[in-house]
Amino acid sequence: MADADASADAGNKQSVYHELLSPSELFEARSRSHKIPVRGQKEFLPSGSEQQSQRLQHSLEEHWTLLAEERVERLGNLVNAVWSPEEKLVELQSPAGKFWQTMGFSERGKQYLQPEEALYLMECGNVQVFYRDLPLSIQDGYERFLSSDTVTLHQYQVFGHLKRLGYVVNRFDPSSVSSTYERQLNLPASDKQKKQLKRKRSQSPVSSDKHGISTEEKTTSEAHNELAETSKLPADLQEPVHLADAPERTWWMEEDVQQKHPKTQTAAPRWDFSSISFPDLGSRRRSERLASPHRSLLPENVDVGECDVSRWLGRLNMKQEKLSRRDMERQRERDRYRRDVNSDREVRRCRNWAEYSELMEERRRRRRKHRPEHLWEREETPLTQPGQCTSHRELLDQIGIIKSSTFSEGLSRLSPSDQWKISFDVYQPDTVAEFKKSHPGKPYTRMCVCSFAGPVPDLHAVKQLSFQSQDVPVTFAVVDHGDISFYCFKDFKLPTDVY
Amino acid sequence: MDGDPAVMKVPRSSSVEVKEDMDTKSEKQATRDALIDISFCGSTPMLWKVSDMKKCRSEGVIGALVGSLARQPRQNVRLGRPLELRPEEALLLLEKEKSTAAVRLDTQDCEDEEAHSEAVRLYEAGLESSYQEQCVLALEDKKKTLNRVMNEKENGTEGSGSAVRERLEALDQSFSFPWSAMAVQLCTARSGFSHCPEERSFHSTDCPMPRDEHLNTRFSVYRDLRNKGYYLTSAGKFGGDFLVYPGDPLRFHAHYIALCVSLDEEMPVCDILAIARLGSNVKKTVLLCSPQEGDVVYSSLQWSSMV
Repeated sequence: MADADASADAGNKQSVYHELLSPSELFEARSRSHKIPVRGQKEFLPSGSEQQSQRLQHSLEEHWTLLAEERVERLGNLVNAVWSPEEKLVELQSPAGKFWQTMGFSERGKQYLQPEEALYLMECGNVQVFYRDLPLSIQDGYERFLSSDTVTLHQYQVFGHLKRLGYVVNRFDPSSVSSTYERQLNLPASDKQKKQLKRKRSQSPVSSDKHGISTEEKTTSEAHNELAETSKLPADLQEPVHLADAPERTWWMEEDVQQKHPKTQTAAPRWDFSSISFPDLGSRRRSERLASPHRSLLPENVDVGECDVSRWLGRLNMKQEKLSRRDMERQRERDRYRRDVNSDREVRRCRNWAEYSELMEERRRRRRKHRPEHLWEREETPLTQPGQCTSHRELLDQIGIIKSSTFSEGLSRLSPSDQWKISFDVYQPDTVAEFKKSHPGKPYTRMCVCSFAGPVPDLHAVKQLSFQSQDVPVTFAVVDHGDISFYCFKDFKLPTDVY
Repeated sequence: MDGDPAVMKVPRSSSVEVKEDMDTKSEKQATRDALIDISFCGSTPMLWKVSDMKKCRSEGVIGALVGSLARQPRQNVRLGRPLELRPEEALLLLEKEKSTAAVRLDTQDCEDEEAHSEAVRLYEAGLESSYQEQCVLALEDKKKTLNRVMNEKENGTEGSGSAVRERLEALDQSFSFPWSAMAVQLCTARSGFSHCPEERSFHSTDCPMPRDEHLNTRFSVYRDLRNKGYYLTSAGKFGGDFLVYPGDPLRFHAHYIALCVSLDEEMPVCDILAIARLGSNVKKTVLLCSPQEGDVVYSSLQWSSMV
């Protein structure tokens, strides 16, 4: 702090008011200590004694000294950046430092930082942000960068808290979460990163004829092409007659996809599998030759003639299964008490599934004839019958009138709510060395920021957030005037099986 | 020790009004300087200047530090500026007319091109003069070190004087202090090089803080406890509204957890049980506080057994 000289001129007074350091003070700041004094034990009762008030004075002075210290950095160590309020981004003007490994992104040849990242780096003394050629103070940063469009104050407090602890924190992007199906297929999520920042690839205008559909298919992302290709099996037109004149038919359910303004790349093509017929090569009545698939299912310029599958059919189910000794033993155990359904003469007489279920129903009815009337002929019947169940679990299932639900039930039907939103992806500090911004991997947890003044998340909110987050647990960061606490909900299953 | 907390020396609010440097400008300016500037970040009141924080603490308003500490920004044990104020704290300061509240209006960037380019010019001139001064200081510093080192080595032998002089001259010629070696300040509070933001001053009635019934209840309780000389901070982690300290929170432990309820609010017994349990676990007395016609009624909860 500049000394307030009695004979100081207005300029000096000005700097006292504005907390500006003089060049000599700036120079002296090189040899500042970097240690924080430890706070002593607190006392219980104020006794008004001299000792207590002295200690209080000392603590207060220490407190003010620490707080009043301004950030002084060597100009060469600072990265310069410019705030752009239209884009709500901070653009770097000089090369980035070590922080670039985990923060910021590149676009169109320029390096950018998100406003919360820039503000955090300003507080750390690594970056100096300019706006209209004048440097922004931390106060300006708070007031300009934090808003409901970018990141709110509460969210920034959580962000700063986690970053100070060493975590890598990124903004959450809902479209970057892969669904269970995509994960099962092991689809690369390469083009899902930072979708909202890249320029959207505009889809070429599509004509309404059949070829148009296949070309449009190609203009969507490769991942979806892959998806489309793997589901294209040899479309055997087994009853070739009525499908051969299917050119009028579209394989696509969304017919107006061509006319509508193309949506973002996440709109997946939807096939109408009820109208595509797949050959059943395992059935008894099968043809040795498969006709070529319909033109619209194949890529352009690919011509597939008739397929001769007789050689392949000859090898179906012919391979000898080689079981290990343990597997053979296991199979023998299983088969000892197992009765093949087909050994039942009555079942062999059934010609199709409908007849089989009729037979089962008939048998059930016969069984029921021996049931006591006063129990079974009324409106309310017993839940189960002796001899009906073979395991405890079956029995418990039958007598359980309140069905237990799992956490993941009905998740897909939930609509996103406005109040509860996931703000950040958090990655652990020890992964920083190998962290790659282009492939961050699965986050450690996802943060949802709320405050003590607001409501506790209800089951709907918790379910909806965990659905949004798929396989990553969600943590709630609750902010109370600078104090942050973290809570998470864990799924718990009551044991139902009794052995 | 004594049963009741010792008589607290309540810091007199007049200490803020003591005018120290009276310059020839009007008294009004000095009074204005003695006021605390509250800036709003959204709807949250904040203090940025250390002088404001000192004044605020002398009023007994504690607040909470939420920024990184300049000395060691990458830790969470001790935080630095800004000081976030609770709405009740800001209201108290405004009510006592100890402060003015201001919000930087987003749209109002400096329209005046001339004033802005003047500000830029001043800033750049400031940098330049700082650089010149630092050059001089760096050279002097280097010379001093050189002197010291040479004197230690030679230890006052005869030929030392001229050798030192030669080295100093060589230093004068070859010394360079690059622009990038200059030390600059990253201001915490808004500095003199303002972007001339239009700031609107608020009265306590139309602050950007949302006011609802619960805030009014809490404010009455806060004001009453503060006037009785207690220091209060937030108590979210303790399940209450305020933690009540008999002295400055830097040196003393809290004695009470204050929960503000309005007199006609129904409280389920299990809530009372929960907060009583919590209080006994953390060894603090729970206070249920309710404003009643300008005064505040307190009930304390004590967990005891049936006798």
